Amino acid sequence: MAAKIVTFNLNGREIDVLVKPLTTMQTLLREQLEYFATKSGCRQGGCGSCTILVDGEPMASCLLPVEDVAGKEVTTLEGITPDLGLHPIQEAFFDNYAMQCGYCTPGIIMVSKALLDRNPHPNRREIVEALAGNVCRCTGYEPIIRAVQDAAARMNGQQGGA
Amino acid sequence: MSITNYFQPQSLDEALIFLDEHKDALLVMGGGTVTMPLINEGVSAPEKVMGLKNAGLNYIHQQNGRVVIGATTTLSQVLVEAPLPMLGEAARNTAAWTIRNMATVGGNFFVPPPAGDFATALLALDAELKLVRQGQERFVPVSEFFTGFMANVLQPGELLAEIHVPIPQGQTAFIKFGRKVANTPAVVTVAAHVQFDGALVQAARIAMNAVGPHPVRARKAEEILLGSPLSDEAINTAASTAAEECEPFTDAVASEWYRRKMVKVYVSRVLKNIAGKEG
Amino acid sequence: MTQGKLNAVGQSIKRRDGLGHVTGKTVYVDDVKFRDMLHLKMVRSPVPHARIKGIDFSEAEKVPGFVRALTHEDVPKNTYTILCLIGVGPDEEPVLAEDEVRYKGEQIAAIIAETEEAAMEAVGKVKLDLEELPAVFDVEEALKPGAPILKHWGTNYFVYEGHHCRRVRYGDVEKGFAEADFIVEERYQTSPIEHAPTETTGCVVKPEADGRYTVYTNTQALFFTLDNAALILEVPFNKLHLVGGTVGGGFGGKVDVIVEPITILAAMKTGRPVRYVFMRDEEMRVSSTRGAWRMYYKDGVMKDGRIVARQVTTYADAGAYNRHTPYAVTKHAANAAGPYNIPNVSIDAHCVYTNRQPGSAMRGFAVTPASFALEVQMDKIAETIGMDPWEIRFINAYRNGDMKPHRKVVEDATLIETMQAAAEMVGTELPERLKAMHSNDREGGNHG
Repeated sequence: MAAKIVTFNLNGREIDVLVKPLTTMQTLLREQLEYFATKSGCRQGGCGSCTILVDGEPMASCLLPVEDVAGKEVTTLEGITPDLGLHPIQEAFFDNYAMQCGYCTPGIIMVSKALLDRNPHPNRREIVEALAGNVCRCTGYEPIIRAVQDAAARMNGQQGGA
Repeated sequence: MSITNYFQPQSLDEALIFLDEHKDALLVMGGGTVTMPLINEGVSAPEKVMGLKNAGLNYIHQQNGRVVIGATTTLSQVLVEAPLPMLGEAARNTAAWTIRNMATVGGNFFVPPPAGDFATALLALDAELKLVRQGQERFVPVSEFFTGFMANVLQPGELLAEIHVPIPQGQTAFIKFGRKVANTPAVVTVAAHVQFDGALVQAARIAMNAVGPHPVRARKAEEILLGSPLSDEAINTAASTAAEECEPFTDAVASEWYRRKMVKVYVSRVLKNIAGKEG
Repeated sequence: MTQGKLNAVGQSIKRRDGLGHVTGKTVYVDDVKFRDMLHLKMVRSPVPHARIKGIDFSEAEKVPGFVRALTHEDVPKNTYTILCLIGVGPDEEPVLAEDEVRYKGEQIAAIIAETEEAAMEAVGKVKLDLEELPAVFDVEEALKPGAPILKHWGTNYFVYEGHHCRRVRYGDVEKGFAEADFIVEERYQTSPIEHAPTETTGCVVKPEADGRYTVYTNTQALFFTLDNAALILEVPFNKLHLVGGTVGGGFGGKVDVIVEPITILAAMKTGRPVRYVFMRDEEMRVSSTRGAWRMYYKDGVMKDGRIVARQVTTYADAGAYNRHTPYAVTKHAANAAGPYNIPNVSIDAHCVYTNRQPGSAMRGFAVTPASFALEVQMDKIAETIGMDPWEIRFINAYRNGDMKPHRKVVEDATLIETMQAAAEMVGTELPERLKAMHSNDREGGNHG
């Protein structure tokens, strides 16, 4: 059984990893690289808690073979979190109580980042559609939607908007 | 038993060579959105897997009055490019953003019911599938592709390479009814294409999903519409007929009883939508 | 009284764990990994009811990475009785099945291996010799003569101090029915509900050099888990060190002690850290649900809206084992008549066993199903006698000083005030008579 070396860009740094065939990005991140922010909720692509960005597009890391990201840019929540302080999206989630148990939060923040990167002024419907693949069992979603609207305002230069 | 090989062919020809060499030991994967969950759960334990994402089957172009879509074009690509309104609508109603970035149009032909909503739109549009083996290709209409539950006419050594969609000459409409607004399996999905000659229906295609072992046409309902002015009365009769002729099933999403009722409602809504567009 | 500067009261306080959540730094059970960690996967019953004739591990043992299997013979005290420490018995659920399985998915044997894949493969190769037995899936069928019996004491119901159900008797319902102008009867049924937390149930156990075991768990009930695990493993309580409190969604679904005892045992037997985390399909099909409830309500009602008699017969589907259901049914019986003052009440609340997935706690625990039934019943009563649904509730609402059917005096009643506030919030103009009612005041109520 041939393990392969795969080279890709992880959170701004080029890395080489050695993986057995069809190892998923989720397994690579959580088992081999100790990047735990990307969660494991269902391993079926149904809950969204494993969401990462590949060339800026949200994807389910539990369904994504590592070999498929060769040469691409992968972003995880660790890549968005600054060494000190918080990204505006994280601040908005924190300030708006947009989480309870926190398990879905990384996946939702990743999708929110992808959304706001391409659509700095999403309306409510666009936010809801973007987040349709993420399951939250605790909050009822309203604080999350408010947080994304607030994050958009912050990123557009307004203080604590929405 | 772990997977010994994950092949990533860089062309259709290379993919066909792998397929002929490894035969049944090779599991073919499009976006992985149906295959990977089964592998993750230990339900599926293939020896070798082939992913088609890099085989150059990822394109949408128009050619001789048809939209030609490569089999590994993702649903997100279809949604963004929206070559036809019905295809954009079907893509938008399938899964969610994250999964659409991975799921392929070809893959939607190999999914268990009640999935398969995109294939349902293609059925309504009289699309044809280009099936390719080494040295040979053939075209099979979507209406002849499925032979039963998770069964189709694809032969060993063949791959689904392309989908050809004639540009519709009439009005189209697509509605998916699920228990949630998005990212949900269908209770029932209806896709229709109706062509008119003056005020009367010249041709009708009504495709339905989640009410049979695979996407199906409501052929008796279609016949009722022919020659009619697509009046409320004709629509009503067609919708009732569609409800009678389908074979819904009970699963965790909905009961057979409820699905059959919803066929009548949604066939009716889709046809009224078309009647409204025609003016 | 000196009033100091208040820092927290009256403020919105940010979550202490919020920073961890938004940065992905909060540590959940699945984020706990050790270099030499083993993986536990469970062999489960494929059928709802069967006698176990034999288990053959020979093919499983050949899987590369297989370490060992555990059966009931390895478990020191093979009994899981969640509330045994407060005297709620009897013992009837095994940690690992002995000679019989009673629900599809029941734990039979644990396989421990070097990798998760090896453990899953080995589980697939275990051969079970089962003699399938007749199964029962409906609560009323389970109580009929001839139904397959699930419990060693010979019945399919929990015995409440010698009785076949939890009983409440207050006044004389037959007399009430005879006096009533209307009789309103209905049958209500709720479905089992799965909590479906985004994080599945699981734990990781690490043997420490000093002989203790550190148990990283996402249980909602750390002390239940500590106590029950120690009793099952027959070790002093101080052998176990539980680390937890970070739960990726519980809702009552993580209050049973299901994964920890067997994982600790695996760590004891192998000397290595062991991980046992449910897959998503195990969480759906095997973990405790909110059990289904069937409820029959029969009410005697006067023309003026007073409910003069309420007879309630309910059947809780506990599934195959007790867990929290016997306690739930007691709580349910205390609430089944609703927050209403009714002079004649009879309640028979049964805890019934079927060959289904065991039920346990979930938000509102035992009262939520009753609320559904009795509030729909109140609307039916309103419809039957031609009265406004608000009014029927105001008239019958209990007041302070009233006696509840299970012989507790009502204190701190606020149903009337809550309904008044709710009506205002939704823009319903209540008649003055109802607006004037008060929980401390019998005026306008059904007390004569």
